[in-house]
Amino acid sequence: MNFEAVIGLEIHVEMKTKSKMFSAAPNSFSREPNTEIALLDMAYPGTMPIVNKQAVINAIRVANALHMTIDHELHFDRKNYFYSDLPKGFQITQQFRPIGRDGYLEVLGRDGKKKRIEIERIHMEEDTCKQLHFMDYTLLDYNRAGVPLVEIVSRPDIRNGTEAMHYVEAIRNIVLYSGTSDGKMEEGSLRCDVNISLRPYGSDAFGTKVEIKNINSLKNIEQALDYEIERQSASLLNGTPIQQETRRFDEASGKTVLMRVKTSAVDYKYFPEPNIVPIPLSDEFVNQAIATCPELYDAKKERYLAKGLNEADASIILSDIAMSRYFEKALPLVKNAKTLANFLIVEVNGYLNKNAIGIAEFPLDEASMAEISNLQDDGFTHKQCADIFNYCLANKVSPKEASSALQIEKQVVDEGAVLQAVNAVLDANPQSVADFKAGKDRAKGFLVGQVMKASHGKLNPAAVSKVMDEELKKR
Amino acid sequence: MSILDLTISEIHQALVNKTTTPVELVKEALARAKANNDNAFEILIEEQAIKEAEALGEPEVDNPFWGIPFVLKDNFSTKGIETTASSNILNGYIPLFDATVYAKLKKKKAILIGKTTLDELAMGGTGTTGHKGTTFNPWDPKHERLVGGSSCGSAACVSAGIVPFAMGSDTGDSVRKPASYAGLVGFKPSWGRISRYGLFPFAPSLDHVAYFTRDVKDAALLLDVLAGRDLHDATSSLEPVERYEEDLSAPLKGKKIAVIDDIVQTISDQKIQLAFKRSCEELAKQGAIIEHIRFGEDLLQSIYATYIVISCSEATSNDANLDGIKFGPFYPGKTYQEVMFNARTKGFSELIKRRFVIGSFSLMSENQDILFRRAQKNRRKIVNRLNEILAKVDAIYVPAAPSVAPKIVSSSYKLSDEYLIADNHLALGNFGGLPSITLPLMLEDGLPVGVNLTGAAFEEKKLLSLAAGLERITGLANLSVLNKKEGNL
Repeated sequence: MNFEAVIGLEIHVEMKTKSKMFSAAPNSFSREPNTEIALLDMAYPGTMPIVNKQAVINAIRVANALHMTIDHELHFDRKNYFYSDLPKGFQITQQFRPIGRDGYLEVLGRDGKKKRIEIERIHMEEDTCKQLHFMDYTLLDYNRAGVPLVEIVSRPDIRNGTEAMHYVEAIRNIVLYSGTSDGKMEEGSLRCDVNISLRPYGSDAFGTKVEIKNINSLKNIEQALDYEIERQSASLLNGTPIQQETRRFDEASGKTVLMRVKTSAVDYKYFPEPNIVPIPLSDEFVNQAIATCPELYDAKKERYLAKGLNEADASIILSDIAMSRYFEKALPLVKNAKTLANFLIVEVNGYLNKNAIGIAEFPLDEASMAEISNLQDDGFTHKQCADIFNYCLANKVSPKEASSALQIEKQVVDEGAVLQAVNAVLDANPQSVADFKAGKDRAKGFLVGQVMKASHGKLNPAAVSKVMDEELKKR
Repeated sequence: MSILDLTISEIHQALVNKTTTPVELVKEALARAKANNDNAFEILIEEQAIKEAEALGEPEVDNPFWGIPFVLKDNFSTKGIETTASSNILNGYIPLFDATVYAKLKKKKAILIGKTTLDELAMGGTGTTGHKGTTFNPWDPKHERLVGGSSCGSAACVSAGIVPFAMGSDTGDSVRKPASYAGLVGFKPSWGRISRYGLFPFAPSLDHVAYFTRDVKDAALLLDVLAGRDLHDATSSLEPVERYEEDLSAPLKGKKIAVIDDIVQTISDQKIQLAFKRSCEELAKQGAIIEHIRFGEDLLQSIYATYIVISCSEATSNDANLDGIKFGPFYPGKTYQEVMFNARTKGFSELIKRRFVIGSFSLMSENQDILFRRAQKNRRKIVNRLNEILAKVDAIYVPAAPSVAPKIVSSSYKLSDEYLIADNHLALGNFGGLPSITLPLMLEDGLPVGVNLTGAAFEEKKLLSLAAGLERITGLANLSVLNKKEGNL
């Protein structure tokens, strides 16, 4: 590689508030188009913006998680341009005084080491209306007009696709776990625009910037950037200068494709929004917003690790916020967090995948799940507990009812009882013992099977196997 | 003299005594409106008004607005009633909601009988630029004179005796200047005192709800009803609402009044000068302390430019919603750009487009420092000077205009001090968001001229008390073309 990539990200996050950024219209997704609109969202003359308090609280929480300096006075500005998706002809944003500035995030780099990515600003603004373009007409859905957004702008500290992916992932986890957003890239509630330029190693100057818009998954961020670095490198090595342009990522080909060449930048004629006077935020308000922030991803992970989960288990459970909620509800009821985690990761996830449902629709409540998990820690085998789990789900009964229906009894692990049963079988099967001694390993399996059969499955197979090994040695 | 020619508080007495009824009043107001030929109305609301009047039961003794007919400037949103702001771009626009001031008056059972003309989108001071053409001054039956704007129709309605009060809006002087030309009380309370929700914005940082009455007491009573915090307007103030009519008969003794000499001196009309001087003498005679001060000529000369830059900048943004897509006449085009372009080309008059160009130019990133931001900074300087003065005195007192209502064809030299200062100083009250009231001073050859008092923010009660004292001096309370007076000065 001859060039260093300089990458900056702009992330728009749709906030999950009850109402819109400046109007009382409900803010929810997947409703009938044009049914969630207040007068302001359509820019009826004489309507005025009222700042959504919850949106401010959310923005403070995210700013704090990103280690930013929080402005204790809210200022809003107008960004003016004519476009079919912009009912007022301007967007209310925070150009001159964003609510947060100068933060950072530490993310894993490609070399597995932590790297600090500096964040320039976070500001609040309103979304535009949604456009559906057809051949000769466009449909407008004003449900999205005025939905609260936070925009998080990084400094150009990112150097490759992997860092970018981890950066976006970390931000998604923050907005998700702080309750700010559902952070769904594929549904557009977290949207990512990337600026990338190349320069020779050692240079301080910046190359020509290319923008890649609306990348809709974490994996695609990595792919799009790695592709774009290669494309620009090849082009520069060819002697073809990079042109300032906007591209998009084509998932099918794994390439970025040209959308439009950028001409001169639009002048948005920013000026302070005269209908919102500056709003002072008291220390108490800001501190309260931070103090009441739901526990974030990193804190949860640390707590899970302390409970005995390993890194992989914790990550799997935390990859679905609903799963982590389920886990945490069951957690105080279980003897061993790791056992519970194993059930969630294997049995529960298996069931969810098979039935194509989410944990929200999972029929077994947390208390029952905890009960099953505890049975294993009380000495029932995992297989027995899994049978109970499956029986509960198939027959909609409690774990107690399931275990009595299945006539499952605790297996005997008592060494004396096992030893007696093992020796009885060894005594009765000298030929098999001889076979084993002659090197036929299969004979051991037969002997263990005989013990289990004789004990009607009541002995613990692991204990039997262990004692069998010892006793065979003695013979 | 008809009961309709009395002030609101007097009409209220007549309603309580059952000397008249809301139906009688509304019918008479409508009859006068129809007979009037000053081109004051966008729309008359006949059926609804009579129905509302008929539905009223017993008079509400404690509610001076019960059954009182009134009009709204046509830039207040009225649910179900076409509202155009006298602009073709809003022809046929029927709002889905009521402006807060209309809702409040409705609740008080005042009766809306019509919506009045304005300079297109409230931009203008002549009353000649609305889509219905010129609104004439009722004091001049020959229709040669302006009533002033932008609240031209509302001013005409009150001075022609059609209604005892009318709602308007005031961004530079759009109520207080026409009040001078029409012989009325024109009152603009502090920015944030009355909710602007439902007022079509021109320049929100300067826009105020304001209104015309025929005496100071009515102005005070109206503020009792209209003032207050509104959850639909984040700029509406939490300052407690007072009983604004309480101190109206307080003596003027000891009140400090500043006369800004460098405004007064730019007026060439000697009759106005003389009457103003006499009024100062009378104020002093009653114990008021008159202080002659200078504001600073440079600052005064910069008012107009500062006003134009700020107001046009805000206007070009506010009116960007008028694009022919969501409301107003739709003009087809091949692309959305063409649709917007056609609507805005055909919907706005040249004058409006010129203002948008000025505003847009001022906001361009390469011009912001020398135009928009410079104007903002200058506004701050002016407001600092105002507050400095108002920290020492109870009010600023100056003539509201340099002349009686001008002739329609006349034009003034736009770079003269008389124009730049005497014709534009009322915008000071908008820059500072200060309560400011115009009331008649005298009549010159049968045409009224007003004076203006401006006080510190949210000191409406004190300002109204001073205005009432001045009204006693001029003797011109409840003036209208049907109720002509000589005055004392």
